[in-house]
This record gives sequence, structure tokens and C-alpha cells, in this order.
Amino acid sequence: MICCKECIELLHDYLEGELSPEINASLEEHFLDCPPCIAFVNTYKSATQICKTTLQSKDIPDAVKSRLKEFVDRKKNN
Amino acid sequence: MGFSDQSNDKVTEEQLVKDLQAGEVRSFEQLANIYQKKIYALSFNLTRNATDSQDVTQEVLLTLFRKGHTFQGKSAFSSWVYRITLNASYMKLRTRKKEPNVSIDDLLPSFNSSGFQQEKIKDWSENTESLLFDNETREVIQKAVDLLPDKEKIVFILRDVDGLSTEKVSNILELTIPAVKSRLHRARLFLRKKLANYFEEYDVRKEKK
Repeated sequence: MICCKECIELLHDYLEGELSPEINASLEEHFLDCPPCIAFVNTYKSATQICKTTLQSKDIPDAVKSRLKEFVDRKKNN
Repeated sequence: MGFSDQSNDKVTEEQLVKDLQAGEVRSFEQLANIYQKKIYALSFNLTRNATDSQDVTQEVLLTLFRKGHTFQGKSAFSSWVYRITLNASYMKLRTRKKEPNVSIDDLLPSFNSSGFQQEKIKDWSENTESLLFDNETREVIQKAVDLLPDKEKIVFILRDVDGLSTEKVSNILELTIPAVKSRLHRARLFLRKKLANYFEEYDVRKEKK
């Protein structure tokens, strides 16, 4: 049977759906009997998601936006 | 999301790039509008400084303006813009005092000789969404990302935050596909471990209340 180490090494490909059906099935079989791995997968997904959400909300501040616009206008009209 | 995922946008963008190559000034303004938010966000995620990110955005736009006609189209225009943005951001970081490197290997999971997990893993995943609006949590998350080593950080930002495909990231960073996947996985393992301490403690604090 596949061990925790192998499961965690394959986690990226597992979550991307890139594993062969056989290997995918052996990971899922392992997860059925391994609560620590389930916790690991959940927290791996969760950590990824919250970091992504936190970093994504970066709009250009209005002041910067208008300075960039002035810059572009200047270049365009030169 | 990539720079432009709609096929109509792609056609327009291709035309704008052709116009830029031909020295058409109007296309510069339109391309600047399409790209400036992405350039700024990427630079901000790397430098964590609004002034530096503004400087970087201006530098990149200036490069597009001055050197747009030299773009040869060997790779996608967006990859070119990303590379210029990365270089300009790294130049900014070079002038700063470097934070001591955190070894990613120390934070990778440990296993016993049979390959089973050695540490006790708690599942704190259900608490995270509700805490996202909390300033302290956001700071902890930001700090964790800041601590990622450069090689892993840039892959994480391009792939998970900007949502670019593995192929696109491999093209921008000139890495093989397995290298992109491996760096992304290491980045996620690092972030999981860094955040585990915080969220597990949060659980304990909550239980005590």
C-alpha cells in the first residue's frame, strides 16, 4: 500500500487531476484509512486558497492610477 | 486569470501588439491600460511597497513604449511583459537589505522509516475563510508568503495568485514543467506549515473562551 510520504509527494498532481487512474485510486484508498493525510490535504488546499485570496485583492490605488495616466499621456504626446 | 482569456480580447491584443511593433503610439495607450493593473499587482506582491510598484509599472510601460517595436514575437507578448516586470521588481529588491533566508526543507513534512507522517496533523481548514477579513490573519498570511524563498515565491504568485497555467509559467521563467510543479508544491507545503502554527493556536484560543 502507498504510504503518507508518497501521497504527499503526489499531492500537486492529485489535486490537478494529473495522476493515472490507478495511482489516483491508490491515493484515495490510502486517504480512507489515514485521517492525518485527510487533515494534511484539507489544510494544504486551505492554505493555498487563503494565500491566493489575500494576495489577489491588489487594485492600483487611485492616486497611482492617475499618475500612471499622466505618464502614459505624456509619452503619447511627446 | 491570465492577461486576456477571451478570444476576442486576444485578437484585439494581437492587433495592438502588431501596431506597437509598427510604432503606432495609440496602441501603446491601450496596451498600457490592459497591462498596468497586472504589472502593478505582480510588482506589489514581490516588493510589498506601493512606491516601488509604481516605479516598476512606469519603467515597464516605458520599456513597452521605447522597445515595443523590438518585440520579436518569439514568445507571447504577455510573457515578455511579465519578464520585464520581474526584472524591474528584482532590481528594486536588490537595493534592500536582504532578510535572512528561511530553509524550505526545514518546513517540509517529516516521515518515519515506513513513510508515515510523524507529526500530529490538525485539521484547521474550516476556520480559515471566516478569518480572512481579520487584519491580524491577513498580516500573518502576507508574512508567510514574504518568507518564501524567491524561486518558490515567484512560481506561487504567477501560478496560484495570477492563475497562469503551468506551461505559461514555465515559458515566462524558462523552467521545465516538472520544475514549475515541484516549486509550486514546495511553496504550498511551506505556506501550509507556516500557517498551521497560527491556525492551530487560534483553535486553542477559541476552545479556551
